[in-house]
Amino acid sequence: MSHILTAQNVNKKYGKFQALKDVNINISKGKIVGLIGPNGAGKTTLLKSVLGLDSCEGELKVLGIDPFKRRADLMKEICFIADVAVLPKWIKVEQLLHFTEQSHPNFSISQAKHFLTKTKIKMDHKVKELSKGMTAQLHLAIVMSIDAKLLVLDEPTLGLDILFRKQFYDNLLNDYFDNERTIIITTHQVEEIEHILTDVVFIREGEIVLDANMDELTNSYFEVMVNQENYEQAMAHKPLTMRKVFGKYIMLFNSTSRDVIETLGEVQRPSVSDLFVALMQEEDQA
Amino acid sequence: MNTFKALLQREYWEHRGAFLKTPLIMGSLMSIFLILFYLTVEQFDLRVGGGQYIELGSATMDDLDSSGIQSAIDIFMLFTGSIYHFVLFIILFFFMLGSLYDDRKDGSILFWKSLPVSDTQTVLSKFVTALVVVPVIFALGLMVSHLVFFLVTSLILLINGINPFTLLWSNINFINNWGAFLVGCLAQAAWALPIYGWLLFSSAYSKRRPFLMAVFLPLIVGFGWYFYNAIVNLEVLKVGVFKTIGIVMAKATTPFTSGMGFDLESVDFDPTKQTSGELIRSMLNGLTNPSIYYGLIFAAVTIALAIYVRRFRNTT
Repeated sequence: MSHILTAQNVNKKYGKFQALKDVNINISKGKIVGLIGPNGAGKTTLLKSVLGLDSCEGELKVLGIDPFKRRADLMKEICFIADVAVLPKWIKVEQLLHFTEQSHPNFSISQAKHFLTKTKIKMDHKVKELSKGMTAQLHLAIVMSIDAKLLVLDEPTLGLDILFRKQFYDNLLNDYFDNERTIIITTHQVEEIEHILTDVVFIREGEIVLDANMDELTNSYFEVMVNQENYEQAMAHKPLTMRKVFGKYIMLFNSTSRDVIETLGEVQRPSVSDLFVALMQEEDQA
Repeated sequence: MNTFKALLQREYWEHRGAFLKTPLIMGSLMSIFLILFYLTVEQFDLRVGGGQYIELGSATMDDLDSSGIQSAIDIFMLFTGSIYHFVLFIILFFFMLGSLYDDRKDGSILFWKSLPVSDTQTVLSKFVTALVVVPVIFALGLMVSHLVFFLVTSLILLINGINPFTLLWSNINFINNWGAFLVGCLAQAAWALPIYGWLLFSSAYSKRRPFLMAVFLPLIVGFGWYFYNAIVNLEVLKVGVFKTIGIVMAKATTPFTSGMGFDLESVDFDPTKQTSGELIRSMLNGLTNPSIYYGLIFAAVTIALAIYVRRFRNTT
């Protein structure tokens, strides 16, 4: 079975608040999945369960392992970055690498040192002496030196400037990712990761509202620039959203075929963020 | 790869200041006070007695009875040892209070949990650090401090024309006095087990202030017990819980008295009353007391709870 992660009817309650509602999802090997949702939608709750940091109801298996029961075993095969600022402040870079080497069977210290030679980080630096961006580089260097089957990134670039963010994803894609690995990313800056994703999952109020690969999205959602003269005709096809730019209407359609849509105006692939906004609004109206 | 050793090393790296520097600084203070004391006496002697008192004193030193010198040295070594025990307990107290809380507070717990280290290993590494690693460092620190102190004393003796080997070194009973300190560390660990367990649990469980929970919850239980007996059973003098806490604290802070029984009068340590050999026997005898087992059970339960809570508590 090539499924890295399977979830069946996963539920999580905090008191009366239902953080996850019947989540069903399968993620297979070699994918880069964007987990996208508004604040408080349950992204972090889902990831916590996946990483064995919290319990949940239902059937959840990561690499065939129950994450909460056997977190230590699972962590030999997966790794995660929860937030850039979480490396312990008091530790020296050298000590951090040494500790990771001693505790992780799949960590290559020479690889990590090689990554660090490309940065300004020195082995005798303490983490608290590093800037936010350098801390992220250090964390990424450690994570990329772990031969893991699944990498989970929860808002990995939060608080970083745009140069670091771009470099972060470039490094990830060029030096780390191959078809044997799988990555799950959550972020609010969807535009920045859109081009590297193979799949997207939208989550809203604890429910999965969309689980599709990027090709499917491109084939079923279209963004069309409609002129004033085609307005009435376009409206008849019930666009999901519409906005007016420079006297033209940009409409988003969900359609099984491109043929009819093309007659209305210039067709583009919608951005994930536009689609996200559209689907979230659709749910509101429903 | 050696996860547990790395975990212990990690604790040492994080707390090197408290674990290593404290005993060495205390040792330096010992020698510095000795030098200051000598200089004061010398100045005083030069101004008041023209230097003849120290000369007279040095001359009479040779006639001193060696058993008197021996017991003076024993008292010094046991007394300083007792202070080291006390400071060791204070350091361990705050170390354990923070050990499962600080990483939740600064968020680094999520990094530690991203490594294949189980929560059981993590909690046990803190426990073993408190039980074994830090006492061993303190014992070595005390030995170094004693040796430096005796070297400084030898220099002072030499300056005044006294042979330090016959007067000082031949009268030092290293084995018994250092042995008493080491057995003291063992007794301290044994009696403090329930406190250590409670501190680890408070540290793992507490959301805001582990100190308040660790200190005030037992006190509230103590008051509850006291007033229950006072009001319901009219036993105004029954202080059960407070007495237990008090005795365990006394034995944990001054383990030299740990063999002396269970009334609060016998918790003051007086190094002049017992030789180090008697002290060792008394402490080992105290360890056969059955109440040690109650402490052991309490520690096992609280540590198991600390591990349980640690599994899902990732923030503060």
